[in-house]
Amino acid sequence: MTVVAIIRPDSINVALLVHVFGAMVLVGGLVTAATASLVGWRDQGVTLQRFSYKTLLFVALPGWIVMRGGAQWVFSKEHLGDLPSDPTWIGIGLGTSDAGGILLLIALVVGAFGLRRARNGGSTVLLKAGGVIATVLVAVYVIAVWAMGAKPS
Amino acid sequence: MTFYDWMLALHLIAVFAIASALVLYSALVVSGRRMTTLEETRTLFRIAPVGGPLIGAGMGLALVFGIVLALKSSEFKIWDGWIIAAFVLWALLAEVGRRSGVYYTAVQKLAESDAEQEVLTRLRASTGALLHVATVALFVLLLLDMLFKPGA
Repeated sequence: MTVVAIIRPDSINVALLVHVFGAMVLVGGLVTAATASLVGWRDQGVTLQRFSYKTLLFVALPGWIVMRGGAQWVFSKEHLGDLPSDPTWIGIGLGTSDAGGILLLIALVVGAFGLRRARNGGSTVLLKAGGVIATVLVAVYVIAVWAMGAKPS
Repeated sequence: MTFYDWMLALHLIAVFAIASALVLYSALVVSGRRMTTLEETRTLFRIAPVGGPLIGAGMGLALVFGIVLALKSSEFKIWDGWIIAAFVLWALLAEVGRRSGVYYTAVQKLAESDAEQEVLTRLRASTGALLHVATVALFVLLLLDMLFKPGA
């Protein structure tokens, strides 16, 4: 109880926690999906490609939603919208999160078609494309994490 | 950008590497409990080796950059309560994570033999899952400590 008593979070810290937690789940989901896709690239079976797709759907997507919601909450609480112009780090953060969200949706749609085709014994190209997009997204979000920490002006 | 900004960015990237490894292991723990054949289990275990370097490098670098940040900061001192708490949580995380790793590495080695039933039983047993949940819980506590800085 003493520990709980001395932790008095203000609303910005709670919003920041939501944002950071979502971002960690998102990046972790993308790393897992990209790893599974690349490791299973030459496999005859689709076990790892399916695992990659499900990780994108059930881990990365919810992570992105929580991260983006948390980002907007922090943006609002810190009145960052009142600044005359966005600092570079906010531009990088918003740009990568929104563009990354669109890419994630594309990966999910493409992967869904790929999964369906693979179930019917067809090509796994579309399923693999989802994994490639996840790999690109890992690089994009590493830059975003760097920008959030270093906060370049 | 100052030296401190760079250290903070690298500290954050190292922490994200730990988080990524924990998410990867979480996905494996959850999927592992649903495995029905040895072949599926072996396939799934092939992605596990990526987690080792991620969590190892992440833990080491997060600690080093964290110490540099504490020493260079004008706002905090390395003997502040929340920073000491972070060191304790870091050590606990390392130890519980190591035990979790030992458990699943043994299961992975067993999966290379033909002991299908034993492998599936161990993957569904609560021991490994509880060790992993404890590791994640310690990481979340460390994250809370870093964000809220109790006592600062």
